Amino acid sequence: MMNKMLKWILWLAGFVFLILYPKLFGIYYSNVFVTFAIFALYATSYNLLLGYTGLLSFGHAMFFGTGAYGTALALTHISGFPLIPALLAGALAAAILALILCPIMVRVGGTAFAMLHLAFGGLMYVLALKLRHITGGEDGIGGFDIPPFSIPGIVSFDMTDPLQFFYFAMVVLIGSIWILWFFTKTPFGQIMIAVRDNAKRVDYLGFRVPQTKAVIYVFSGAFCGVAGAVYALFQNLISAEDGFHVMTSFAPIMLTMVGGIGSFFGPIFGSAIFGILEELTTRYTERVELVFGLVLIFVIMFAPMGFVGTVKMIKEKWFTRQGV
Amino acid sequence: MNILETQGLYHDFSGLKVLFDVNLQVEPGERHAIIGPNGAGKTTLFNLITGTYKPSRGNVVFKEKDITGAGPWKILRQGMGRSFQITSTFDRMTAFQNIRLAVMSTRGIRFNMFRKVDKMQNVTEEAEEILKRINLDGERDIQAGNLSYGKHRSLEISMALATNPDLVMLDEPTAGMSKDETHYAVELIRRLTEGKTTVIIEHDMDVVFSLADRITVLHHGTILATGEPCDIRDNQAVKDAYLGEMGGEEDVCY
Amino acid sequence: MDPVTAMYVAQGMHGLAYGMILFLLASGLTLIFGMMGILNLAHATFFMLSAYLCYQVIAWTGSFWLALLIAPIVTGIIGVLLERFLLRKVHAFGHIGELILTVGVSLVILESVKVFWGTESLPVQIPNVLQGLVTAGGLDYPIYRLFIIGLSLVILIVLMLILYKTRLGMVVRAAVSDADMVDALGINVPLVFMLVFGVGTWMAGVAGVAIAPILTVFPGLADQVGMDAFIVVVVGGFGSLGGALLVAIICGLLNSYGVQFVSQLAPVLMYIFMAIVLVFKPMGLFGERE
Repeated sequence: MMNKMLKWILWLAGFVFLILYPKLFGIYYSNVFVTFAIFALYATSYNLLLGYTGLLSFGHAMFFGTGAYGTALALTHISGFPLIPALLAGALAAAILALILCPIMVRVGGTAFAMLHLAFGGLMYVLALKLRHITGGEDGIGGFDIPPFSIPGIVSFDMTDPLQFFYFAMVVLIGSIWILWFFTKTPFGQIMIAVRDNAKRVDYLGFRVPQTKAVIYVFSGAFCGVAGAVYALFQNLISAEDGFHVMTSFAPIMLTMVGGIGSFFGPIFGSAIFGILEELTTRYTERVELVFGLVLIFVIMFAPMGFVGTVKMIKEKWFTRQGV
Repeated sequence: MNILETQGLYHDFSGLKVLFDVNLQVEPGERHAIIGPNGAGKTTLFNLITGTYKPSRGNVVFKEKDITGAGPWKILRQGMGRSFQITSTFDRMTAFQNIRLAVMSTRGIRFNMFRKVDKMQNVTEEAEEILKRINLDGERDIQAGNLSYGKHRSLEISMALATNPDLVMLDEPTAGMSKDETHYAVELIRRLTEGKTTVIIEHDMDVVFSLADRITVLHHGTILATGEPCDIRDNQAVKDAYLGEMGGEEDVCY
Repeated sequence: MDPVTAMYVAQGMHGLAYGMILFLLASGLTLIFGMMGILNLAHATFFMLSAYLCYQVIAWTGSFWLALLIAPIVTGIIGVLLERFLLRKVHAFGHIGELILTVGVSLVILESVKVFWGTESLPVQIPNVLQGLVTAGGLDYPIYRLFIIGLSLVILIVLMLILYKTRLGMVVRAAVSDADMVDALGINVPLVFMLVFGVGTWMAGVAGVAIAPILTVFPGLADQVGMDAFIVVVVGGFGSLGGALLVAIICGLLNSYGVQFVSQLAPVLMYIFMAIVLVFKPMGLFGERE
């Protein structure tokens, strides 16, 4: 009973904090927070594959980018296209891409899986650069109208207002992360974890492993697409560099590794750590990625379980000492 | 009427003949042991029946349906469960979660993404009941990989049974167990497979003779003899093949 | 001299030269992968680093030849240090850790390069001897391209001789096909690993110097050429030197003739080639290992 109360209090506190956040920290830090939340969702969807199913992909930028371009293209070419369908267009585009790729991807595992993604991610990057008349090449697509979020006849929020966009982005991003979290708790989520542990036995329990992987793959791709779509709306611009570059593919791996690979919330902590790090380093140097690289090397060398794993370890040590 | 039949089963691994014209017949309700020296092809036969490999030639017929070459998941859904010689559980999941997966499978809960599994009362109850039956209710929330060897093996066997199959295939269920653990496992198997058709590969002759209704002897990839324990014990060809390795309690054939 | 033929020959030479550079880069990648089972994602960064070192040596001494000698060796030494002091330490944590480590290293190198040399592209002059064209059979051949092809062939032949005619080569080949066996033979595997890593990065270094006069030196080199080399490894099959050579040449030619016929979309051709191969053979043309 106490636990349930505590849970509700925590939820409420988090909710109040988010409502007050822009008032407390101002618009600049609200935008920093939106960026953090976008990457948190991106990394969490990615971790569905890496952490839960044990599949390492080097090309998830293609889903992020496809989601972003999907939304941007829909808003550029269809005048008066509403906000939510635009968002869904991005997610759908990413899901379709995942659907097209999954017959090849579920046949392979391990290194081949990682490499195929790097390769197809590279293909998407080059296509985004070269199909200029569609994607705008290096410049990307920008300056499209951001429609208001409106329920006709009831209410309409202006999405070009940073404050209102902040609340909208929070609802979409946190809602998506909640759906992913819920997903891991469903029977299907259990099968997903079982596939990571021992795919052979899953087969002998009457579950179909390739189909399971395919569903997770498409799910993961679609939510990476949502992250990309929100990113495109947030920046009002998406370029090949931001959407499809190899570094965009590596971002969720880095966030997951630094945050803690074996946990649902690891990637979220990872995004927070990198977000804070970026905020701090940009004050002193333009070479933010140098710091990222050093942090990455440091984490792999000395704290390979990431933030969550390390905290857990310290906690266990502390408790055993208390016990003695 | 046989529940399981292999008809003229052949298998070779890149030219090496492993199985040769195997015609196994399992009757409903019996405990059928498959014995034979190492390398006789027992596990390969299991793998062909449960869908790990497709036989080079011949058919596997289960409940009058041809299941030759069907995948393991499909064969399980027809009602055939299997355990492994080398323990193959979900080691980072708890004992309860392991069993729960099997229960989910039986109830056809597969692609459900709209309810929390913890909220499925009947699944939880059934899994807990199974845990109680195999005396693992004390280890409910221990990761399978951290269970003691004997308990880990019990979990392995129980997962095959938890899907409530019509036929259960146990591949050396007592492999690597101590004397006490083996004794316990035999009782467990006897209790859990009551009234169920069971095919069991076993090296320990005490186990074989105390459990089996009928025995098939596999030797050099083909069936040497099939019969009731007394007949097998007295069979000259079997004696020659085993060179008197057959132990067992004498009182089986009074 | 028929201008169409001349065009084909010129593009062919460009393609072949680029293909050989790709091979130099890809062979290191594929050898390291074959032996250690890790993809060195910093490999292309070493290649870029070597191009910068080449620029720097020329800026100091004015000699391209000295640059060709020194830059790859320095690059190789950095590679050895990476293997010895970083990669080896994290080996126990599995492949993901190693991969992420190489990502970290490549970020550090890339950003350091920007700190030292800026982000502008820097020109590298080829020595007079290698400038101009030679004429044979009524056709013109650019000398520098011929030089690159020749140099790569020499390296390739020496590599083959070492791999197939020496005991060390035998150990390396055995390690590529079965690392456990070599362990069982009682050979100092860590030392062999370090050596292969060094030679692999050295070859990336040679490729970096070779490309510097053609494409100039800029931070994006690692991305641009690295991705191509990566495709070569994937399509050729991980761990397969022969596959790397064949696919490198195909990709080089695809690239140069592609520029001729579809200009803008030339880079896409390579990816399409890769996609077609991978759909049918997910492990690449000559790859077997997972």
